[in-house]
Amino acid sequence: MSSIAPERSLSEQFPRLAPDAGRLNVRELERLRMRARRFADEHVRPRALEIDRRTGEDPGWFDWDLVRAGAEHGMLGFLIPKPAGGGGGLATQAAVAMEEVCAACPGIALIFGAHALGVSPLLLGGPSQWDGVLAELVASERAPRPQLMAFAITEPEAGTDVEDPDLLARARITSHARRVPGGFRLSATKRFISNGSVARWLTIFMPTDPRRAAETWTCFLVDTHSEGFAVSRVEHKMGQRACPAAELTLDEVFVPEERVVGREGDGAAATVIVLACSRPPVGAIATGIARGAYERVLGWLEEDRAARGLLARQHVQLALADMEEEIHLARQAYMDAATELDHRALGGVMFNPAVRALGRLPGGLRRHAPVRGWLASERARDATVALLHRTTSERAVTRSLALSSMAKARGGDVAMRVTGAALELVGLRAGPVRAELEKLWRDAKLCQIYEGTNQLNRLEVYRGLCRPQALNCLPPLRPNRLGMNGETRTNGRARTHPAADGLTHARVEGAGGRS
Amino acid sequence: MAREVAQRELTPRTAALDAGDHGAFTECWAVLVELGLDRALLDERSGGSGLGVLDLLGAIEELAVGDGAVAMCVLLCNAALATLTDEQLADAPAGARWALVPAASGTEVTISDGRLDGRIACALGAHGADGLVLLLDGPEPAAWVLDKGARGCVIERDLAQMGLRAAPAASLELTGAGCAPAPGEAHDRTGGGSAELSVAGALALLRAGTAEIAHGIARRARELALAYAHARRQGGVAIIEHDAVSDMLSAMAVRLACRPEVPLDRARLPGEAPDLALDAARLKLDGTQALAVKIAATDAAVASTTDAVQVFGGTGYMVETGIEKLMRDAKYCQLFPEPNWVAHDELMRMGNSGRVDRAW
Repeated sequence: MSSIAPERSLSEQFPRLAPDAGRLNVRELERLRMRARRFADEHVRPRALEIDRRTGEDPGWFDWDLVRAGAEHGMLGFLIPKPAGGGGGLATQAAVAMEEVCAACPGIALIFGAHALGVSPLLLGGPSQWDGVLAELVASERAPRPQLMAFAITEPEAGTDVEDPDLLARARITSHARRVPGGFRLSATKRFISNGSVARWLTIFMPTDPRRAAETWTCFLVDTHSEGFAVSRVEHKMGQRACPAAELTLDEVFVPEERVVGREGDGAAATVIVLACSRPPVGAIATGIARGAYERVLGWLEEDRAARGLLARQHVQLALADMEEEIHLARQAYMDAATELDHRALGGVMFNPAVRALGRLPGGLRRHAPVRGWLASERARDATVALLHRTTSERAVTRSLALSSMAKARGGDVAMRVTGAALELVGLRAGPVRAELEKLWRDAKLCQIYEGTNQLNRLEVYRGLCRPQALNCLPPLRPNRLGMNGETRTNGRARTHPAADGLTHARVEGAGGRS
Repeated sequence: MAREVAQRELTPRTAALDAGDHGAFTECWAVLVELGLDRALLDERSGGSGLGVLDLLGAIEELAVGDGAVAMCVLLCNAALATLTDEQLADAPAGARWALVPAASGTEVTISDGRLDGRIACALGAHGADGLVLLLDGPEPAAWVLDKGARGCVIERDLAQMGLRAAPAASLELTGAGCAPAPGEAHDRTGGGSAELSVAGALALLRAGTAEIAHGIARRARELALAYAHARRQGGVAIIEHDAVSDMLSAMAVRLACRPEVPLDRARLPGEAPDLALDAARLKLDGTQALAVKIAATDAAVASTTDAVQVFGGTGYMVETGIEKLMRDAKYCQLFPEPNWVAHDELMRMGNSGRVDRAW
């Protein structure tokens, strides 16, 4: 069954995306959506059930052909900055692509979603990352064997709490990055890592001092071909099976200094920003699942002889209307969260003139040793953080995270409700469509769990929207190097003085933000 | 007794049963046969245990705490055998596994001159069963014993079956397949012979039994979630200390405490001995209540098992923990013998008109 074409364009559905909004190229976004839909119709939908069956029997089985097909349709590079050869997107692009592919199969979509999640921390690393692994990923898209990334944060004894700065301080962290000459030695067990067994590169988080996990939480870029890296198991999941979830063991894996993403100790703040960026796409994944179930049940009701007469029943009509309503609201929620992040919370960084100018430099010049050395220097990393502080605020990011969390939690619940209702409408007597709906129902449950449980996400909504709180979600400024005024350091983290904070808020709210 | 069997025999094998390990199922079934739970409703003369419906339902709930699918096999077998005549029972060897197949799970099966035509999808417990009894709807509901070996009867395993997998489902393709009438509505001899449930009674038994299975699954889900919530720590405390988790556990407890009663519970007088004929008549009489109980219990089980997976977080989504299996099993209870929205529909029809006018 092919997807049901929407009657309205993206800019009609979401006025904030109107072409004169300037920052986001709506035509590019529409093209991405069409590419994703073509990929879903031609490659994903026809293979979804078979791949689910095979991975159910052998969780380690992986379909590289799909990854190659996805690469040809641009599913690997939409998040990579344009200077590195990618699509230059952020949450909105990821979300739009995810909904399309998830309507066909969320497990397959998750391969590309987990890849994008692995890429996300590198975006925060700034221009220093453009010509390294990101450029390699883009080059590999056209290669016979494209490379995948993964994002590793969950540990056997710490799941939801590593995704929350407050809980992180009390989490039972067992991983440790030990400083050695020229870099770090990483020891860790990370669990439930999507793409973990097939990824070439890994962005991984762990403390450099386990006694102060929150203050020293750091992101590293790990080459999975490194000595000491092992995939200890691939999990047998209930759903979303096409994308393997693996347990990874790192035994004194060496990571050179230049592969510390951002600065040492900035990991907790980076996690918050990454989650603000990744949760709208998870809301989109869930919306796509719900849409897929809705499309299938509607198709069954319209076409299957066994369903004859059911469409005339009010109960069925009400159930379908309810599904349509839920999907519509879930889509509005994730698009609102994604555009809030892209336009407001991080828009200033994404569209900063200096960054864009740097991006227009020929790649050869950026790769010139002195320039590359400066971009990788601590000073350049400080400058990236300073830019973040100039263009956004902790309050803006916290509010954006809250909207993202709302979209994620709402979407997950909608996916469960709609798939459950669709399955109930067709019952056990339906033929092939029952298997598809059962799969979507199993797939949907994960949306209430990953990227933080829905309960944790709703607590983020409370903090960010019900209370005007600001998380420590920007890496601290270093006044001694940059000569910035108006901040102090507490517990190793920078906090702006109340007056300065107030000014920042005034600027953000004055820019059209909601209180 | 059933509780002990569930703990000793079913719980340790639940993963194997879910994976379709036939050997594991055969071992469990042998134990159940030895205890007479496969033909609990039949009198001793027919090789049964002579239990009343209420006692059987209690046993089924306990079995479901161990494995919902095995409990479903016990229910289907008892319901099927209870519709047979003495003569038909004589041809059913001891230890054989029978399954009752309600037409609610299939479509458009017709009977003509003792020949069945049509197709039934996802008939729970039908694959590998030694005997099948089909409950057909229509103006004159009737039960038919299907001659499995006859020409025109093709039984295929439903490989897509998501829940209650140890009660292996099959699709039945019937093209003039031979069959013989079980007593059913047209031959209502309740009170005579061994059991001989009427069609309405058999359907009510299936619904009440499915409710008990759902309740057993929900009990197991809460037990596991509660234990995990005490053991797992997050943010420096056991996760049961977090309101987000304790609220879910509390909701599970409330659903269990508010379980609707099986209709017979109220009907039997204190000290009254089991009397299947009486039970069957009451079940038939209380068909609407059996529907209501099934709807409430299965909806509650789906909610509780979904919450249980949530309490476990990512761990609960992994097959090895056995939590997600409870969710799949509960969902199938919600869809059997008919989806709950159809059950609602039927409930209203029965309640309003006092007759069974099937929605499909």
